[in-house]
This record gives sequence, C-alpha cells and structure tokens, in this order.
Amino acid sequence: MRDADEPKDATETKSDNPADTATNTPDEERRATDRRGDDRDPDAVHPERVRAAIRKEITADQVADEDPRDTDAHPVIELRDVSLAFDRPILTGVSFAAYPGETVAIVGESGTGKSTIVKLILRLLVADRGEVCVLGNDIEKLTYEQALEIRQHMGMVFQGSALFDSLSVFENIAYPLREHTKLDDAGIEERVREKLRIVDLDPDQVMELSPSELSGGMQKRVGVARGLAANPKIMLYDEPTSGLDPLTTGTITNLILKLQREYKVTSVVVTHDIRSAFRMASKIALLHDQRIVFFGSPEEMTASDDPYIQTFLGGY
Amino acid sequence: MALLQRINAAARDKVFSLQEAFFLAWNAFRFIFARPFYKEDVIQQMDAIGVQSLGIVVLTGFFTGMVLALQSAVQMQRFGATSYVGSLVSASMIRELGPVLAGLMVAGRVGSGIAAQIGSMRVTEQIDALNVMGTDPIKKLVTPRLIAALLMLPALTVINDVAGIFGGNVIAKYYLQLPTSLYWATVWDQISSGGFVLRFIPNDFVHGLVKPFIFGGIISLTACHFGLRTTGGTEGVGVSTTRTVVTASILILVTDYFITQALLALLHS
Repeated sequence: MRDADEPKDATETKSDNPADTATNTPDEERRATDRRGDDRDPDAVHPERVRAAIRKEITADQVADEDPRDTDAHPVIELRDVSLAFDRPILTGVSFAAYPGETVAIVGESGTGKSTIVKLILRLLVADRGEVCVLGNDIEKLTYEQALEIRQHMGMVFQGSALFDSLSVFENIAYPLREHTKLDDAGIEERVREKLRIVDLDPDQVMELSPSELSGGMQKRVGVARGLAANPKIMLYDEPTSGLDPLTTGTITNLILKLQREYKVTSVVVTHDIRSAFRMASKIALLHDQRIVFFGSPEEMTASDDPYIQTFLGGY
Repeated sequence: MALLQRINAAARDKVFSLQEAFFLAWNAFRFIFARPFYKEDVIQQMDAIGVQSLGIVVLTGFFTGMVLALQSAVQMQRFGATSYVGSLVSASMIRELGPVLAGLMVAGRVGSGIAAQIGSMRVTEQIDALNVMGTDPIKKLVTPRLIAALLMLPALTVINDVAGIFGGNVIAKYYLQLPTSLYWATVWDQISSGGFVLRFIPNDFVHGLVKPFIFGGIISLTACHFGLRTTGGTEGVGVSTTRTVVTASILILVTDYFITQALLALLHS
C-alpha cells in the first residue's frame, strides 16, 4: 500500500541529522535490523513504541511561543459533507475545518483522494455534493472570475514544484505579483528577494537561474517562495516532501513550520510523510475508504485505540 | 453489451472533446479584446511561429515553384506554350499551393511545438499553477498563440508565394531559356486576369490571404486544444503532438476546399 517515494524502513525516518546515524553502534544497528523485520510483518505493530516515538517527535518541535492558532475565529477553510465521484466514489461525506493559523495535514494511503481535497479547495474540481467554504465563501457558488480572485489569497506548492520552465527563478516568483499587484519593478524585486530569503535561498545566487538548474529541494523552496509571493492567507502543499532525501525533507518541514509560526499562514498539507505531518500539523485528517476516519491533534491520534489508526501509524 | 458501452463511451468522449474545442475557440477569440493583454507573449509567439518558420517556408516554396515550372514546361513544350509557365506557376502558388503548403509546414513545425509545450505544462501541473495564481490559461497561453498565428500565417504565405514564383523564374530562365521580363509579365497578366476587389486588390490575393488567416486559427487552436487535453505523462505529450499534426493537416486540406468554393462563389459571381 505504500508508495515508492515513501521511506522504506525505520532507519530512513529516524533523523534528519547525519550525526545521529553516524554514531550508531553495532547493537543499535542490530536493533534497527530487528525493527525492519517487524515492519515487514503486518501483525507485528507495537503501539506503545510507535506512540513513544511520535510523542518524542511532537515535543521536539514544540515552541515556547504562543500557539499560532486562533480557534475562536471563523474557519478559513471548511468542507461540509463533501462527496465526489468519477468512475468510482473518491470522497464520501468529508467534513473538516481549518482555523486561522492552523496547519491541517491530510494523510492516508495512496489513491484515497488526499490531493483531490486540495483541488476542491482551489475549485480546480467541483464537488458532487456538500460545501467547500474558503474565507467565508462557498467557492463552488462563485463565478469563474470570482474564483480566480479568491485563489489570489491562496498559495500552492505542487508535488513537482510546477515552476514555469520557460521563466527564470526571479520571473517565476514575480509572476503572481506582475499579474495581480501594482508593484513597480523595484517593488517586485524587493518582494522576490524577501521571499527567497524566507526560504533560505540566496537571491543573488538563484534569481537568474532557470528551474532546470536547481536541485529538487531548491525547486520546492522556490515553489514555496512563489506561493508566498502575494502574501496569501492560505498555503496549500501537495506532497511537499515527496521524492526528497531525509535532510531536504527536514528543511522543507522546518520551512513550513516557520511559515506557520512567524507568518501565521493557515495551511493544508497533503503528505505521505507521517513524521513530517506530526511535526508540522495542528490537526491531522486521516483518509480511509473515501472518508475521514480521524480528525484531531497528533496527540489524540497517537492516543487512539482504533485498530486502523494503529496499523497506519505502525506502518511507518 | 460491453461493446455498446465502449462505443457509447468513445462517442461521448468525442462529443465532449468537440464541445471543449468550440469552448476554447470562443474564449480564445473573446479574450483578444479583454484585459490584461499579454503583448510580450504575442510578440514572442510571432517570433516563434513566423520568424523561426521563415527558412522552412522559403525553402519549400522555392522548390515547389521550381518543380511546378519544370513539370508544366514538359507538357507545355508539346504545344509551344512554354512562355505561359509564369502564369501557371503564379496561379498555382498564389491561389492554392502557397497557402496550403505554408499551412502544412507551420502545422508540422509550429503546431507540434505548441502541443508539446502546452502538453508538458499540463502534465507537470504548470497549467494548474496558472489557475491557482488566478490566471486564465486560455488568456495567457492560447490567445497570444492565436493572435500570432492569425497574423503570421498570411505573412508566411506571401513569402512562400514569392519564393515559389522566384523558383519558377529560375527554371524559366535557365531551363526554358525564357527572358525574365517575359516571365514576370505573364505572372502579372495572370494576377490581373482574375479581376480586382475594390479596384486595386487582385482577387487572387484575396484567395491567397483569406485561407492562411483561417489556417492560422485552425493550427493554433488545434494545437492548444490537444495540448490542454494531454494526460498520461510524457507518452501523452507525444500522442497530443501527433494528433495535432494529423488533425490540423486534415482540417487544412478539407477547409481549403470549402473556402475555395465559397470564394469562387463570392468573387466570381
């Protein structure tokens, strides 16, 4: 059920820090090998070990700052009883809400409709039944032009970055600014430099490069910078860490955390990477069999005794 | 039953595809007059469609003119009518071969390029990215290509015609030993014999410029339509490219017949 781009075993997801793996003793290696043996056995899930590991993961990233979430406010994104079918049902009765400053991670097996939810939020797809509300608007009742306007408040990071390969890095990030703002050239350049610095890229080194000259991780970061260019209220990420090495995965995850904490952006992250999901999400939505079978905090998820949730977590 | 279902599904897909093509054409034309105007994109596409196709169009036009003169000379020599080779070459090039050859060349070179580019953008989610950033992909990608093709195809056709007539001149001079002045006199006789629209514009020119204008629309819209419908990764891009060239070429040849019929009825009635 796992995708090829997912981590193959526990050792791959263990740490972003190469120093951690470099100090492994033979005993630790043996224990890791034992764990790999456990992972291959579908019956050998150890909930306590999984919970402990995840709790450690969550607490490692908790910040002393105030909680960025504002749960008294109205939801920024809300799906109410949404159903969608193509040749077969994709989503059935899906409901959840993301409040200002929250990061909702949508996790689940491949082909369960995770990316479809993001496309519904963007109105790239229209639901057969139910409501998709973005910034207080039922996005499916808007005209095409109104939907284009609402999308200007959203930034999207695509699985494959989706940078325009005919444009330079600078022009890619400047694109939404040229389209929808009245900034002059100097203002645009200043904004592009600012966004590149946010994603830890040196503007002078990368601005004139074309996307094909960048590594996968750099392309993802430029994708994030482009998504942020118009200062959106909402950021949507479709598999932001897929196909990246563990170090770059950690960098991208930290970047999403930084945006959540420093810029209070409301985010929806579609991911296979449960480790990153636990690090960055305020809420986790677990999709299974066309429905959201769990929606709650990472702590609530690890505390759940639901056999499917335990199997799902144990699978990682 | 399964066969019926498959036929039904295939027919439904064709109807939807046709509906999408008309929707695309309507919006692409509508956006010509709607802000924002992507002037830089139009100029870039005029360069890609027009300037970069010059070589291939001049070459095909020149050699087609030479072949026309050579073939007709063989027949005309029997009747001692070789002096009329200029008439034949110019009539054939301006009315038919110029527009059709330029159309087919551009369909092959530019149509496939447009389909591949837009198809690649589709499969790498760049079209979705445009949508997400509040840009209509038809306005940004299709309309500039449509405008560029509508303007550049007639220009390329005129160049193709001239190259063809020059090609005929080379054969007339060096193979048939005809004086150049006589060749060009017969060319002008032919152009003027078809009559004039508004006293000054030869009917043959109207024939020759209406057709490429329509062919430009056919090539750009067909390529964008198949490009935007691309699915299935890089293999899908290849399929879209092939479909574009085949469909655009067939549409050019079929439409050419109906335009000729219509123009003959209008201009010679």
